[in-house]
Amino acid sequence: MKPVIVVHGGAGRIFKDREEGARSGVTRAAMKGYSILKQGGNALDAVEEAVTSMEDDPHFNAGCGSVLNEKGEVEMDAIIMDGKSLASGAVSAVKCIANPIKLARLVMEKTEHMLLTDHGANLFAKAMGVPEIPGEKLITERSRERWSKNLEDPGTVGAVAIDNEGNVACATSTGGLTNKLVGRVGDSACIGSGGYADNHVGAISTTGHGESMMKVVLARLILYHMEQGMSPMEAADTALNYMKTRVGGLGGVIVVSNSGDWAARFSTKQMSWATVKDDQLHLFSPSDCTVSHLASC
Amino acid sequence: MGTKPVLVVHGGAWAIPDEFAERSILGVKNAVKSGFAVLEMGGSSMKAVEIAVRALEDDTVFDAGHGAVLNADGYVELDAIIMNGKTLAAGAVSCIRNISNLVIFACSVLEKTPYVMLTGMGANQFAEKLGIPQVPVEELVTDHAKAEWEQYRKYNQKLQVHDTVGAVAIDCEGNMACATSTGGITNKMVGRVGDTPVIGSGGYADNLVGAVSATGHGESIMKVTLARLILFHMEQGKTPEEAADSALHYMEKRVHGRGGVIVVSKTGEWTARFTTKQMAWAGIKEGVLMYGLNPGETIQEIIKPSK
Repeated sequence: MKPVIVVHGGAGRIFKDREEGARSGVTRAAMKGYSILKQGGNALDAVEEAVTSMEDDPHFNAGCGSVLNEKGEVEMDAIIMDGKSLASGAVSAVKCIANPIKLARLVMEKTEHMLLTDHGANLFAKAMGVPEIPGEKLITERSRERWSKNLEDPGTVGAVAIDNEGNVACATSTGGLTNKLVGRVGDSACIGSGGYADNHVGAISTTGHGESMMKVVLARLILYHMEQGMSPMEAADTALNYMKTRVGGLGGVIVVSNSGDWAARFSTKQMSWATVKDDQLHLFSPSDCTVSHLASC
Repeated sequence: MGTKPVLVVHGGAWAIPDEFAERSILGVKNAVKSGFAVLEMGGSSMKAVEIAVRALEDDTVFDAGHGAVLNADGYVELDAIIMNGKTLAAGAVSCIRNISNLVIFACSVLEKTPYVMLTGMGANQFAEKLGIPQVPVEELVTDHAKAEWEQYRKYNQKLQVHDTVGAVAIDCEGNMACATSTGGITNKMVGRVGDTPVIGSGGYADNLVGAVSATGHGESIMKVTLARLILFHMEQGKTPEEAADSALHYMEKRVHGRGGVIVVSKTGEWTARFTTKQMAWAGIKEGVLMYGLNPGETIQEIIKPSK
């Protein structure tokens, strides 16, 4: 199987002055994940690496750069899922750690549970030796400004991949909504909504209006359509359209099928995304998608 | 007023000890009657599942609200969800230590916030703002739960699944709803959230298809998003019973997990199915109460319509 990785940096409106940062951020994330796949690494490691890269990038609403809740604090949700075993790990409302996606991976591998929340997630992080960082370290000037002016949210980040053994995986991470209630959990921590991966079908990561995606269990819905024979693009468009008509919500998704077909689709104005397949980088652009050959692969 | 109302409840799928059997049956029968009274008077399915689950939460024989199992710290941490099949709106709460009727709180999240799920401390602060009664954390800890927890700590037994209450309903306007509430599993890690509050896993309701409430091994239920999976099967033409059996069988084969579900379809067909040793369940439709505990067991009682 030829490896494929698709990443997104959130659906919504991408302001002109943020475009370049988003473009280089998703490119870097996709390349990092792809280089793992290219060296024979597995899909889980690739999506974790790609999402970690975007969590560390202050341009995105995840990890450093997360939006602030009503108290001006960062509370994050993340999920990772292994399409081979259907095992997954997730954290919700976790504070003061740099990379929630890494903690989600630890939940998956080191506990009998799948979702740890709030204080308990932080206790687990401590027990695992994950360094606690001051909450302010996750806050950027931009997120403070967004909070004080209640500006539109940038989206979640995520990645899906298939490795050369045909295993698929997904990962999603977010700071959620600006000014959200303390303790609000969005789709990103909820299996089936923020992401789902199944070797028999494919893998999905979602972004957009969290509550709408939960109401239609968006990721699982797309895979259901694919099970019925739709292509990733048809399945994504059908599900996004259903979400719009049934619950009035907009969003975006990235999809990879178990045969390596992929799609990046959205009903919002824009979505930043990047894909690497066959050593070619496909990247969002304001008009359409651009394709370039990767000398570095 | 085209639809005949139906209400089905469960009191958790696990190996129910003999000393709990009779009380479990009594508990589900009482709950289904109290919820069905709402439907009979023309009330909504949302109200009916809330009332039924409140009755189950208040009954210490079940692992939700009073009587919930204890986590690794010796406290209860409760999760719940309620979902409206007409709008697909849902309210869920996770990791709550000091509210006895969690389904009421989940309902407030649905009605009073733009969110679907609240967790932990933040959820507690919100409950306080709403004036939802909070009780001292010790009040929800029963002697039985404490004894079981001590036993567990002493012998380091394997995680004992014993889980969850729930209800599904269709009202006379054809609107569907589900609600699920739980204390989770004994000696779980602090902050562990199971399937119950996760939409599509612990429950799902959609007027276009049906409503499901799930119970059993939470992590397995999440891995296959059990409630949504059953409704997918029904969308493809399976009956509630076929859909439930096929999804439970898949869960056992693919991720080696067992559980139980109650299902009602948009046409009022209903079922209660499980792959665990037992599940206490009860359902009412057209003046007939049915209930059971063991596989294949269905006991029928004619109940007089209340005037």
